Amino acid sequence: MKQNNHTILKISWRNIWRNRLRSSIIILAVTVGIFGGLVSTGIMKGMVMGLINNSLENQTSHIQIHNKQFVENNEVGFLMTQTDKLLTDISRDPEVKSACERTKTFGMASTASKAAGVMVNGIDPEKEKTVTGIWKKLIKDKGTYFESNKRNRIVISEKLAKKLNAKIKSKIVITFQDYDGNLTGASFKVEGIYRTQNSMFDGQNVFVRKTDLDKLLDMPPHTAHEIAILLKNYQHTETEVTHIKKIVPDYLVQGWPEIDPYLQVSASMVDFMLYIFMLIILIALGFAIVNTMLMVILERTKELGMIMAIGMNKFKVFKMIFYETTLLAIIGTFVGIVISAVFTLYFGRHGIDISIVGQGFEALGYSTVMKPYLELADYFQVLAMVIITGLIASIFPTIRALKMKPVEAIRD
Amino acid sequence: MKVIEIKNLHKIYHDTEVEVKAVNGVNLEFEEGEFSAIVGPSGSGKTTLLNVIGGLDAPSSGSVIIDGTDIGTLSSREMIDFRLHNIGFVFQAYNLIPVLTARENAEFIMQLQKKSRAERDARIAELFTAIGIQGKEDIRPNRLSGGQQQRVAVARALASKPKFILADEPTANLDSKSTTNLLDIMRKLNEEENVTFIFSTHDQRVIDRAKRVIVLDDGKVTKDTKTEQ
Repeated sequence: MKQNNHTILKISWRNIWRNRLRSSIIILAVTVGIFGGLVSTGIMKGMVMGLINNSLENQTSHIQIHNKQFVENNEVGFLMTQTDKLLTDISRDPEVKSACERTKTFGMASTASKAAGVMVNGIDPEKEKTVTGIWKKLIKDKGTYFESNKRNRIVISEKLAKKLNAKIKSKIVITFQDYDGNLTGASFKVEGIYRTQNSMFDGQNVFVRKTDLDKLLDMPPHTAHEIAILLKNYQHTETEVTHIKKIVPDYLVQGWPEIDPYLQVSASMVDFMLYIFMLIILIALGFAIVNTMLMVILERTKELGMIMAIGMNKFKVFKMIFYETTLLAIIGTFVGIVISAVFTLYFGRHGIDISIVGQGFEALGYSTVMKPYLELADYFQVLAMVIITGLIASIFPTIRALKMKPVEAIRD
Repeated sequence: MKVIEIKNLHKIYHDTEVEVKAVNGVNLEFEEGEFSAIVGPSGSGKTTLLNVIGGLDAPSSGSVIIDGTDIGTLSSREMIDFRLHNIGFVFQAYNLIPVLTARENAEFIMQLQKKSRAERDARIAELFTAIGIQGKEDIRPNRLSGGQQQRVAVARALASKPKFILADEPTANLDSKSTTNLLDIMRKLNEEENVTFIFSTHDQRVIDRAKRVIVLDDGKVTKDTKTEQ
């Protein structure tokens, strides 16, 4: 059986190279198709992964805990209490890398000339550093990340600084409702200016010390509106949500896919796109392969008639044509995968700058430096799809071949 | 020993309005070790008769019994298997697989029969010596002469140790020297190894070397002569 297979495979392989030009054209077509499909998917996937990473790193983290009513109404009064104890309990979980608490309130930021609505995030700068990466996004020579110990310092985005006409050391007055519902406010001095790749986030978020904000809001001690958790492995989000729910049964525990379903949908969508892209490409290539194989069958009528006459059964004839068809597709796929992998690895590291044409991307949270990203599984999926295409594409030529009567084929 | 028994064989083709009786009531028997030529003008039914004997074409009526098996009762799958183990074919146009070497062509049929490597090696060595093309084992057909290709085709037909060889106009594409060489080889195999050969031919050189000459005309056997050779 093995021996038979080896011989049939050998014949199929050598048959491919009988007409080098024709086979090369088909292989090239498959290579270009696979490269096109994989690279476009890689670029889309890279952009979405960038979006997810940016969002998780700067904004969402992996898990957030809130008072359920705060999520619904965003009112300062809906607090979580004994957050110091909660943070200690959560930090004991071996899957948790770090956690921090935040006070959050909507407010109006204004300078002498301009005003804008903002989300004021009261943070513990040192703890926040272990969970989010805003401190890494500070623009060079544009201040520091709460290095000064002075009160009422604020870190704002470059976008907001432009909007408010503010610079380092500018004063920004922020007004908001306190814990009791009274309108209050304070003047903050700009200490640092940051820029993430998500301009929507940048336009809305400012950062102040939690101690300063708590005092202004008149918050009770050991309270917060939000606890953000960074896990050691983001793929364990779902199981950790279940686990943390047991630690804090009174509060709402949400993983990042629930907090930002758009991220989850984008990730699933891009995987789905890989299938759609490859399916369209492979259908087109499948037709080209079928056409080539039909020509091959026509050219080899006599030869096929002879091998059937001397005793090669239909299944072996099918195998021979299937191997030839699939090998044609697999050679092209292999070359396509290698080129795509090199492209993806190189540009995944160095990035493709599309800032000239892609400024609108930033407004949607995407980076203007595209870094294609493909997983090993993506390559295997494509390979499996190609083998299935080979199988399907070989059916029609095989039917044509098997319909031949050896006696007529030999006479031709 | 009787190898082939043909009883009242008819093969009729229905060509639009005309009915063509390619084989018309043939009764023949072939013994083991025969070296027979079926001769006759073009359209006399030689090739059709050979195709029906070889199970490549089904008879309209009558029967072909090979070594006790009525091949008309076999399913198409059984027929393929039967051909593989019992019948060797030599075609006019050699019909070697161009992507295989001479050796691979000859041993291909043994691989289909699932013969072991050792068995194949021994048989190929034996056959290539018998047909006189030692040293050409690793050459592909396009680099062999017509005569050499037909000798490889004979080796392929013999490789499976069939009960008999059907050769349809095997010398039609060969020059005089190659024809003589090929006939010498086939006669030698016939005499020394008792291989049964049945040819369809109009080549006088083949007819001259045959031990039995069957003349076919309009699908009927008109003469069946055994020579003294």
